[in-house]
Amino acid sequence: MYRQARLLGVLLLLQVIAMVGIGVWLFASIDWDAVVNLSNEPNKVRLQTTDKSTLKQFVQAILFTIYFFGPVVLLLLAGLGFVLLRRRGWMLASVAQALIMLACLFFYGASRPWFAYPIIAYSILMILLLNSRSVRAVVHRRRLTPADARPEIARGE
Amino acid sequence: MANEESVDAGTAEALLRRFEPVIRFTKGEWFYPMDCEPYVDACSFWVSRPGEDAVCVVPYGELSLERLAQQPEDTTGAVHYLKIPNPKEDGDRGRWTRRRAKRSHTNPDWPKETFQAGRGRLARVGYLSRLADALFSLALLARGRVPGGDVEGGRVLYGRFMEKKERFTYHGNVVKQDGWIVLRYWLFYAFNDWRSNVFGANDHEADWEKIFVYLSESESGEVRPEWVAYAAHEETGDDLRRRWDDSELEKIGEHPVAYVCAGSHATRYFRGEYLTELAFPLPRALSAIRRIARRFWYVTLRQYADEDYREKPYEQFTIPFVDYGRGDGLSVGPGQDMEWDPPRLMNPVPSWIWGYRGLWGLYTRDPFEGEDAPAGPMYNRDKTISREWFDPVGWAGLDKVSTRAEELEVINGRQAEIEERRDLLRSELQEKSSRLKALGMDAEATRDQSHLSKLHEKQTRHIEELSREVESLRAQLSDDEVLAESLKDHAEGLREGERPPASAHIMHAARPVSEAETRAGKVAQLWASISIAVVLVTLILIIAYQRQHLLGVLVFAIAMFAFIEAGFRRRLTRFIVSLNVALAIVGALVVLEHYFWGVIILAVLAVGLYILWENLRELGR
Repeated sequence: MYRQARLLGVLLLLQVIAMVGIGVWLFASIDWDAVVNLSNEPNKVRLQTTDKSTLKQFVQAILFTIYFFGPVVLLLLAGLGFVLLRRRGWMLASVAQALIMLACLFFYGASRPWFAYPIIAYSILMILLLNSRSVRAVVHRRRLTPADARPEIARGE
Repeated sequence: MANEESVDAGTAEALLRRFEPVIRFTKGEWFYPMDCEPYVDACSFWVSRPGEDAVCVVPYGELSLERLAQQPEDTTGAVHYLKIPNPKEDGDRGRWTRRRAKRSHTNPDWPKETFQAGRGRLARVGYLSRLADALFSLALLARGRVPGGDVEGGRVLYGRFMEKKERFTYHGNVVKQDGWIVLRYWLFYAFNDWRSNVFGANDHEADWEKIFVYLSESESGEVRPEWVAYAAHEETGDDLRRRWDDSELEKIGEHPVAYVCAGSHATRYFRGEYLTELAFPLPRALSAIRRIARRFWYVTLRQYADEDYREKPYEQFTIPFVDYGRGDGLSVGPGQDMEWDPPRLMNPVPSWIWGYRGLWGLYTRDPFEGEDAPAGPMYNRDKTISREWFDPVGWAGLDKVSTRAEELEVINGRQAEIEERRDLLRSELQEKSSRLKALGMDAEATRDQSHLSKLHEKQTRHIEELSREVESLRAQLSDDEVLAESLKDHAEGLREGERPPASAHIMHAARPVSEAETRAGKVAQLWASISIAVVLVTLILIIAYQRQHLLGVLVFAIAMFAFIEAGFRRRLTRFIVSLNVALAIVGALVVLEHYFWGVIILAVLAVGLYILWENLRELGR
């Protein structure tokens, strides 16, 4: 019964790895030689670049981190929840997918980066999976308490 | 009232007193059932003609029930109405209030006259309903409504009556209709202060409510209570009534117990808080869109259909109000805090009942009519005769129900009728079957003969027609056989004392909201109260300061509000699912727009691979 939940967990963790991978790639592809640190103080960084494409890459990488850091943490927790605790993590995973989709749509509206499309496609698959009947049956299953099992009772009766 | 018989006054009073209801009020109620005569004596009488100012026909202190029956100054389109005295003209202002407050300390049986609202009604519904509620409240400024001073006038007037003598009276009328003896308890209240007192939908001067008890009479003349019907707002039909032996119907001896809601005086079977919805039909185009969207969501996408989806014949827009029928206040009836005074009998029907067709309080010209006073027991506001008066049995959906004394007789009659019809069907069937066989033989004889082909075609057509008729007759016969068998079983059951489930006739029972729903945090209530204002202010701020990012900020703000709302209403899971599905649809469109052919090729490949996989699996078995 919990095989589906574990599979979901593994897929969520794969999504985490892919997102972190894209983030690392975004930072790695910046030409750091074109970026100059203007700050003389040891603990402060003040960057400047004259190359427009480097600046664009840099802004994109920073935005990617801002938009996706929170959802990736949620995904990680949800993935671990599904793998280790079987039924926990559905809400975290769903919220994470919603945030990822919203961020991707913002990105899409602004600069249409290539990575928005695979992330959207993967998120759609995960949303379908999270809302599939078999997954719902596992994660939304709960034992009825006597109070739940009773029909609605008039107040004070 | 062709099939209605009246009952003599003595019998009527005895029956009314024997089954008179016990009524439990909500703490904080200001008005209790009273005799209408002192009310009428204290009122002035007005006539409003179309396009003219209302005219006072009888001033305060000169009106009486007899004079009311004459309905003077009647012309086409005229509206007759009563008006309670202005409190400022009254020297006794506030005495009753002080007295009741004093009694609440000295007499523990007397309820404390403070109303405590439960979980705010707005916390129980969503944004749209809250917005509609705000618009409804704003509309009150433009619509006709009962002035605030009138509520106080009503309280002062009622207080004055109670100071003279504490009386709790109902108006009783007994009629016989379709084998039923109907005991009609009409309850008159001096004022409906639902809006002013408990944040309800309306206020109006005077209020007529009712409780009906339906009796059957055995051959020996014994009466037996079988059903009761309590009126609540404008509801009619099967859902109104409860069977006497229904375990959910509370009774004390032979007295049914009713819970009257604070202010509105709607009468309920259970104690509790009821979400009453004021419904407005949506424009046809909007309702069609809403219906399609709901079908797509619940049926096509199968999203929570089991829990939420109900196909409605027409879509409505509703504004919620709470009816508080807590039953924690004064109890009136036999053996209760207060006993009923002798009823004002309406057998024979007095002249003021049939003679006065006007309103029993202020006519505000409210287009929704909620703020207009009601007409009397016999009439609707438009002066037509009310159904509960001319057809009390049909009003509660009892016109299709037999009394217990009649049940077996009705079944026997029906069985005889069916048996007669079956005999006719059998003989018709026999005749047509023989004819069909003969035609079949003719057609067989003429088959494959070129010179008889036209005759053969004609015979074939006849055979088809006759065959259909025979099939239909057999179906009718079969239905009648099943029906006769069911009636026989039902009759046997009834003879053995079996009864159908007491609540089988109820489709949509009015039930109080569950206790869990009435509990809500103060933050949730606060949010419900301020949310519409916050949404509007946020919208203005976004338009003023974030015009360059209008769409993005708006989407974010709407999502945030929806998230907060879903959290307070314990619908977070459903909200997230809805949001995700919507985002997935938008996301799919985005991907499709960019990689249209790629997606098509991938989809075809996926389908092909799936078919291949399925076929190979079948081969491998």
